[in-house]
Amino acid sequence: MTTSSVYAPEMARVAAVRPLTELEKLFTIELPDGRSLGHAPGQFVMLSIPGVGEAPISITSSPSRSNGAFELCVRRVGDVTGALHRTQPGGWVGIRGPFGHGFPLEQMRGKDLLFAPGGLGLAPLRSLINQVLDERGAFGRVIILYGAKRPAELLFRDELEEWAARDDVEFHVTVDRGDESWEGHVGVITTLFPLIAVDPRNTVAVTCGPPIMYRFVLMELLGKGIPETQIYLSLERRMKCGVGKCGHCQINDLYCCQDGPVFTYAQIKNVPEAL
Amino acid sequence: MRFTTPDGLRAWLDRLAQEIDLIAPTDVDGHALYRPVSSSDEVLLDYERPELSAKDYLLPATEVMLRVEQRGSSVTIEEVLPDRKQVLFGIRPCDAHGLAVIDALFLEQDPPDRYYRHHRERTVLVGMACTRMWEGCFCTSMGGGPMDPTHLDVLVRPGEEGFFLRPVTPKGVAILEGLEVTEPRGEPLPVEEYNEPVPVTEPAKWRPLFGDRIWMRHGERCLSCRICTYVCPTCRCFDVTDRVVEVQPGVTRIERIRAWDACTSTNYRRVAGGHNPRPTKPERLRNRFYCKFCYYPEDFGPLGCVGCGRCILSCPVDIDITEMMRDVAERSGG
Repeated sequence: MTTSSVYAPEMARVAAVRPLTELEKLFTIELPDGRSLGHAPGQFVMLSIPGVGEAPISITSSPSRSNGAFELCVRRVGDVTGALHRTQPGGWVGIRGPFGHGFPLEQMRGKDLLFAPGGLGLAPLRSLINQVLDERGAFGRVIILYGAKRPAELLFRDELEEWAARDDVEFHVTVDRGDESWEGHVGVITTLFPLIAVDPRNTVAVTCGPPIMYRFVLMELLGKGIPETQIYLSLERRMKCGVGKCGHCQINDLYCCQDGPVFTYAQIKNVPEAL
Repeated sequence: MRFTTPDGLRAWLDRLAQEIDLIAPTDVDGHALYRPVSSSDEVLLDYERPELSAKDYLLPATEVMLRVEQRGSSVTIEEVLPDRKQVLFGIRPCDAHGLAVIDALFLEQDPPDRYYRHHRERTVLVGMACTRMWEGCFCTSMGGGPMDPTHLDVLVRPGEEGFFLRPVTPKGVAILEGLEVTEPRGEPLPVEEYNEPVPVTEPAKWRPLFGDRIWMRHGERCLSCRICTYVCPTCRCFDVTDRVVEVQPGVTRIERIRAWDACTSTNYRRVAGGHNPRPTKPERLRNRFYCKFCYYPEDFGPLGCVGCGRCILSCPVDIDITEMMRDVAERSGG
């Protein structure tokens, strides 16, 4: 099983599986010998289910909370994720990585941070948010604006409550459509932006969500005067290798797997096929 | 330069075929194709550009990457790396040039592609110079030529009464040991016919034409059939899939395979959630040409086309890469 190829996965144990919503589960995965994955927030792994295939999955746990394991928050949406959802604790999955460029934590230190995840976009951002909260003193304000389609689709509800309870986090959450139990804000994520005021030059914004959301969230962020070089997004692309060879994630002259998946808006605003 | 008679060349090829895998142009139902051969009788010495490129022998159309065996909860993963040496005899200079283009991404960019590198290292390229440019050929516009030795280990030039062999690399010198050399007779054949050059527009000048109507015009009739990628000596995108080979009580054997893929195919970029960042045919065709003439040279160095002309001859709806190149040259002002 030991091999030096970047294409050969390493088998890792699924230590825990926790359902988060109807479609999403949280998988805790341990590498052999208690080794740490050594990832940065925003990076991804290639996850294999032997016999089914391999897919890129962002890492949702913070490096600051590794404990010899990492977490993937996965929506059941295709063959690989379907098979993963059927995997029980104690089962095995193949892991390659971590791959890609994550969020530039160093450049965020001392800055106010505005997080705007939409839906499953919280998965990669949670890695960064928890890293930031574990070094809370190193950053300015922490603002989180989170939107989901329905209350039942909110991820990590226990952590959302923690964030809401902290007085050093400004947390706002909304759903597109409420239900009888929902007493919070209703409306798309952009309806949260009027609730906050920022010092644009000292703010770094980080967003992740479906393509349609980017268009409108970017208008809000730019409307607040946040410079294009201080707006970070994480893009989703099909990937087959993770190392810049297979071609599937190519966006004009950029390779999402190596140049990204995290980009600044300035980097991609003139790249026609990025957003 | 070494000279040998046709018999001398065939004797050498026969010896090679006994020692290592010999791939050479051969007649397959009236089509010249690079194929494994076991004797020099099968080897064509006078042939046009083979109908498929030679990349199949370095980046196989389908390649087993890993063998996975599951026994209960234990999983073993084995990499599959064939180690037999192979010689590609009679490879045309454009096809060797195509491999050099792939090298720029698969060998020179970190991390190198382990499988491709392995195939590259076990392969000797003995090229055969072309004595003319055939229909569709435009290698001379792409930095190559009918007698270009640059990307070969040995260049063979057909002559009036035999063959002139020129080793280009140490690998080439070594493979020629055992060749029966005689006193040269006659002259190497010159190139009888060159095709009109095609204008090549520098990468930066492609960018302003991204929204141009030429892409819609050419792309509308594309069938997304992907034959252009299939025949192309530089297209190297691949898909990775798993195949269950054997299921027995307690044991499952799986192969992870990679296979050529094409950016012109409908679902090439579709993500599991359904988003497809390049949903229309003109967009996908445009990407194919931008990859070759803009992105690839900017990212990795060489142009992504060697001018073999195969895509022109094989396209069922007559999409012609040289027509595209002329359109781009004209619109970008040359």
